[in-house]
Amino acid sequence: MKELSRAQIRDLMGEVLKNQGKALPADDAADLREVGFRSLDFSELALRVEDATGEELNFDAPGLRRIATVGDVLDFLVELQRQ
Amino acid sequence: MSVETAPQAPAHPAGMDNRIVVDGATRTWRDLPELTLPGPAAALAHTARHALAAARHHAVHGTELLLSTASRVDAAMRAELRDAGFAVTELGGDHPAGDTTPPASRAAETGRLWLLTSGSTGRPKRVGHTLESLTTVRGQQPARTWLCPYAPGTYAWWQVVTLSLTQPGQHLVVVEPDQLDDWPALAAEHGVDAASGTPTFWRRALHRDPAGLARVPLRQLTLGGEPVDQTILDRLREVFPAARISWIYASSEVGAAIVVHDGRAGFPMEWLDRAAPGRPTIGVHDGELVITSPYHGAGLDGPVRTGDRAQVSGDRVLITGRLDADEINVGGSKVSAGVVRDVLTAHPQVAWARVTGRRAPLLGHMVVAEVVPVGSATAPAEAGLDEAGLDEATLVRWCADQLPEYAVPRRIRVLTEIPVKETLKSDV
Repeated sequence: MKELSRAQIRDLMGEVLKNQGKALPADDAADLREVGFRSLDFSELALRVEDATGEELNFDAPGLRRIATVGDVLDFLVELQRQ
Repeated sequence: MSVETAPQAPAHPAGMDNRIVVDGATRTWRDLPELTLPGPAAALAHTARHALAAARHHAVHGTELLLSTASRVDAAMRAELRDAGFAVTELGGDHPAGDTTPPASRAAETGRLWLLTSGSTGRPKRVGHTLESLTTVRGQQPARTWLCPYAPGTYAWWQVVTLSLTQPGQHLVVVEPDQLDDWPALAAEHGVDAASGTPTFWRRALHRDPAGLARVPLRQLTLGGEPVDQTILDRLREVFPAARISWIYASSEVGAAIVVHDGRAGFPMEWLDRAAPGRPTIGVHDGELVITSPYHGAGLDGPVRTGDRAQVSGDRVLITGRLDADEINVGGSKVSAGVVRDVLTAHPQVAWARVTGRRAPLLGHMVVAEVVPVGSATAPAEAGLDEAGLDEATLVRWCADQLPEYAVPRRIRVLTEIPVKETLKSDV
């Protein structure tokens, strides 16, 4: 299975935000609410990861967690690819 | 098994001397091969010429007939037809006759014509008609040469065929499946001045070769079989400023129920719930188009729930798509795929669009789309970017200006060719 690196997912996240006329800050600690990254954007990012890897992500696998920062999103998707 | 003998059919239908261009030759209804069809017959045509011959056979002899292309009828459907008492007969092509004897013979129902529905909502089902109930164009018509691009045996095919069979001066130019991409050249060569097709059919023609399309001397353009949006009507109007452009809502079940000639998408709201003798009554119940029609199939009198979504927009009622496929639930917000599709096709660089729901985390589904850019037939798109600079971000912004956030397609694939099925529709 092809797996995307954290940096590759970050690039995809940048594309999602760019399409919405927003910018992805360099700081992983940036707050998602301040960036304007919302559930629609998160879902789109997940679809982009699926398209890039050719694998469907299984969101039922990991437990719920708090996702508040850019870094949280990247960590979550990196982990999800390994489920 | 069919038997061809000398072409000498009795001259019953009024259009017998109309010209027919089929299979590369110009002939008349009278010149088609004479078939021997035992009724009740399920005739599976391998060529357009044989399908027309079967239609004429029915018009002359009244033989109970179900007519279809061979490719639409699989082994299970053949068995089903035999069980229903039909003699399954291959017409044309190099095919063994097989066992065509129905296991339980029954008396033929003279004058009965059967249509197979497209099966878009499951297995194709049989709908009973007669030549009379399929003939919706009556009265004196101006002489026309009609293009017939439809698959034999479909409701739309019968509409064009009955017109030519029953009215003198209504000629036919038949498009074979392998001619679909280049039909404008065939049509221009034979002076076609009236053509009926799905919006997908017209979009493909505009997309592939607009100059070639403009050379066809069309005076009547008809659209049907799929939702008709304002953009396709406007683009055809640009190419054919003086022609009559009509759209028709018709189906095997309810017949031709809505005919609109004013060049606008949808139909006037005042047509709703208006009862008039000999005319269909159109209603909308819970967002679904409901039709009571005098042209209905056998056993379908009374209101028929069409399964098509209808919604009021200003002074018009728009038919946006199939109810079961049209609604996309994005995190609890309902999106009409047809409305999003219309926004995409209204973009000046988009020739065609399909909008669907895709399973997505958090929201259940997201709106996604496929588009074909204008001009990509000659300059293929690469990596999601065409030469006009039409990319995903541009289209996302275009949609975001006109739609609620949850309805904006987030993944948009760029295709180079408009997909089409045998029904000339692209919805799957």
